[in-house]
Amino acid sequence: MKIYTFPDAKRRNFWFKKILWRHVVGIFVAAFALFPLLWMASAAFDVTGQLSTQHLIPTHHGLSNFSTLFGNKEKPFLTWVRNSLVIAFSAAAMQIVIGAAAAYPLSRQKFRGRKVTLTMILIVQMFPQLLAATTLFLIINSFGKTFAILGLGHQLPLIFIFGGGALGVNTWMLKGFFDTIPTEIDEAATIDGASHFLIFSRIIVPLAAPVFVVTSLLSFIGILNEYLITSVILGLDGRNMTVAVGLQQFIYGQYAKNWGPFAAGALLATIPVFTLFIFLQRFLVSGLVSGSAKG
Amino acid sequence: MKVRDLRAKSFKFVLSYIVIFALLTMALRFIQNRSWFLGFFFLISSFLVGYIYTLQKKVPSKYLLPGFLLLFLFHIYPAVFSGYVAFTNDSNGHQISKSDAIASIIESSNIPASDIPPIEFRAATEDSTKKLFVTFQYPAGKYWVGNTSTLREVGSANPTGFTILNFSQTQSMANDLGNIQVHMAGGLIFSPQDFKTLQAGKPVLVYNVAKDELTNIESGVVYRPNNNGQMVSAEGEALDPGWKQNVGLRNFTSIIQNKEIRKPLLAVLAWTIINAILIIILSFLFGLCLALIFNFPRLASKRIYRTIFIVPMAIPNVLSVLVWAGLFTTQTGVIDRLFHTDIPWLTDSLWARIAVLIVELWLTFPYMFLITTGAIQAIPKEVVEAAEIDGASVFKSFRMIKLPLVMRTLAPLLVASMAMALNNFGAIYLLTGGGPTFPNTNGNAGATDILISYTYKLAFNGQEGNNYGLASALSILNFILVGGISIYGLRRMKTMEGIN
Repeated sequence: MKIYTFPDAKRRNFWFKKILWRHVVGIFVAAFALFPLLWMASAAFDVTGQLSTQHLIPTHHGLSNFSTLFGNKEKPFLTWVRNSLVIAFSAAAMQIVIGAAAAYPLSRQKFRGRKVTLTMILIVQMFPQLLAATTLFLIINSFGKTFAILGLGHQLPLIFIFGGGALGVNTWMLKGFFDTIPTEIDEAATIDGASHFLIFSRIIVPLAAPVFVVTSLLSFIGILNEYLITSVILGLDGRNMTVAVGLQQFIYGQYAKNWGPFAAGALLATIPVFTLFIFLQRFLVSGLVSGSAKG
Repeated sequence: MKVRDLRAKSFKFVLSYIVIFALLTMALRFIQNRSWFLGFFFLISSFLVGYIYTLQKKVPSKYLLPGFLLLFLFHIYPAVFSGYVAFTNDSNGHQISKSDAIASIIESSNIPASDIPPIEFRAATEDSTKKLFVTFQYPAGKYWVGNTSTLREVGSANPTGFTILNFSQTQSMANDLGNIQVHMAGGLIFSPQDFKTLQAGKPVLVYNVAKDELTNIESGVVYRPNNNGQMVSAEGEALDPGWKQNVGLRNFTSIIQNKEIRKPLLAVLAWTIINAILIIILSFLFGLCLALIFNFPRLASKRIYRTIFIVPMAIPNVLSVLVWAGLFTTQTGVIDRLFHTDIPWLTDSLWARIAVLIVELWLTFPYMFLITTGAIQAIPKEVVEAAEIDGASVFKSFRMIKLPLVMRTLAPLLVASMAMALNNFGAIYLLTGGGPTFPNTNGNAGATDILISYTYKLAFNGQEGNNYGLASALSILNFILVGGISIYGLRRMKTMEGIN
C-alpha cells in the first residue's frame, strides 16, 4: 500500500495544528496522573523524611526511611504484608472457584430458575457488602463466641466474607465469557462420554484462562484495597492489620512525623501491584472495553 | 474406565459425608451456645449438601450450592440482619440479653459480707491442666477447691490431683490470683484479699422476678427497667450494663425528630448525592474529552499516553489517597508549596470538598477514559463517514452521532459507577476522615462525610459509644438510596433502548 506523504511545509503545518496541542494536553494530564506516585517515590528516598522540606528530586537521598520502616517493632510492616497476601490470595482464589462453578451451569445448562438466579445475582450486586459492615461485625462477633478462630481479629472470617460475596462479583463476567466458547465442543465431549465435571474442569476452565487472569487480578487488587470491612473485622491491633489498614494507622494524624517511612512502605506495597497491572493492562483494557461494548 | 468411575464416585461420597459431618458439628455447637439462627443455618446447609450431592441427580444445583450458601451467610443475611438491628437499641452497653445483663449487674454489685470472717486459703495448681485454684475450708469441715469458672467439693485440705503452692510460688502468681472470684452457693463470692485469706462478698442488689425490679438491700433504692433497656432508679441513676431490646421505630424517628441527629444527617445526605453526581459528570466529561483528543490515529505516542493515564488504577487506592492527604497538608504540603498558596485544604469545609473532588477525579478518570475510548472505537466507521459526507461539522457529528451512541453503550456502566460513587468510603474517610467536623453534632459528622462514612463513625468511632442500632438504620437508608438509584437507572436504560 502506498502511503501518501505531505510536502514538508504542509506536514509541519499539520503537526502544529493537530498534534502539538494534543501533546500539551497530554503532558498536563500525565503530570496529574503521576503526581502522587512521583512524590511518594521521591519521599521514600528522601533521608530528611520531612513533608515540609521535600523536593521532587531529594537533595539528600538514601535508604534510611526503609530501615526506619522495617525497624519499627510496634508497626510490623512485613507482618502486614504477609497478612495482606494471605487474605487477598485465599479470598481471590475462593471468589474465582465459586464464581466459575456458578457461571458454568448458568452459561451451559437450561434449568428452571436460571433467569431468576441471574436476576437475583444482579440485584444483590446493587447492595454492596460494605453497607452491611455494622451487621457483619455483629455476626462475626457471635461466630467468635462459638468458634474462636471464626471470630473478630482472625483472618479466616474475613476470607470467607470476601470469598463468600463472590457470586455477586464475578459470576456475570465469567458467564459472559463462557457464553463465547462454542457449545459444540462440550457437545462433542458429552457424546464421547465425558461427565459434566470433566467438561467443566478440562475444557471450559482451560479455555477461559485469560478471563480468569483478569478477574482474579481485579479481585486480588480489590481485596488489597479494602479498608472498611478489613479494619472492622481484624481490629486495629498491631500484628493483625493488613498493609492498607496498617499504613493508614501509621500515618493518620502524623504526617509530619512519619511521612518518609510511610512513603517507603507505600512504595514497596505499590511496586508489585503496579508491575502486575502494567504487565497485564492489555488484558484489562480489552476486558473492560469489550464489556462496555456489549452493553 | 469402570474402576476409575467407581473411584471417583466413592471419593465424592466420602467428601460429601465429611462436609455434612463438619456442618452438623458446627450446627450443634452453635445450638449449644444458643446461636439459634447460625445453628439452624448450618443444619439446613448440611441437609442441602446431603440431598444435592448424594441423592438427587440434577447438575446445576451442584455447582450453584456452595456459592449460594456463602452468599446467603455473608451478604444477604447481613443485609437482612441490618433490618433487624435497626429496630433495636444495640450499642455499647446494650449488647447482651436482659437476663445476662441483670446477672452481670448483680454480680458486680458485690459488697463485703461482714458476717463472714476472712477464710484461710492455699493456692494450688491442677496437675492435669496447670490451672490455678484456691483450696479452702467453708464452713468448718467442708473442703473446697475452686476458681472463677469451677468449684468442686473435695474430701480433704490436700485434694488429690492438685499441687499446693508454697508462699513464694503463690506470690509469683499474684496477678492471676487477684482475678479469681469463687462463686459459692447463695450468691456469695470469695476472692483473695492477700496471699493467705479470702474475703467473702455478697451482692447488694436483689432481683425480684415477679415485679421485674432490682432492690438495693442496704439503701432500699429500687431500680426498674426503662424503655431503653436499662435498670434505672427513680432518681435517674442507671445501672450498667444495659441489654439489647426491640425499640420499634425509635432509631428512625430519632433521625427525623432529634435535631442533633437530623441536622448533620441532612447535610451528609445532601453531600452524598451532590458528590456522587458531580464526580460522575466531571470524570465522565474529562474521560470523554481525553478519549476524543487521544483517539487520533496520527498521534504516534498515543499508546504511551494511554499507559500513563491509567496509572491511578495501578496504585492501591488506599495508599494513593493517603499520599494525597499528605500532599494536601496546608502550608507544609507539596501542593501549597508548589503553587505558593496557603489554602486550608482538609480543614475548611469548602476546600475539603474541593480536595475530595480532585482526588476522586484522579481515582476515576482513567476508568472513564478507557470505557469512552472503547465505546468510541466501537462506533462503525461508516456512520461517522456518512455524516462527514453529508457535511456535518466536527462538533455536530460528535453531538448528534458519537455522543448518543457512546451514551447508549455506557449507560449501564455509568449507573454502576454512580452506585459506587455513592459509597466511595475510602476516598473520603482516608483523605479527610469526613471532616472538618460540624460543631455540636452527634457522632462527629463532618462537611465531607457521606452516608457510609458517617455510618462507620457512628458504629465504630462514636463519641458517645458505638451505636449499632442507629448505624444500621442509616445503612437501611443507604440501601434504599443506592437501590433506588440503580433501579431508576436500569429502568431509564430500558426506555432508552426502546426508543433507539
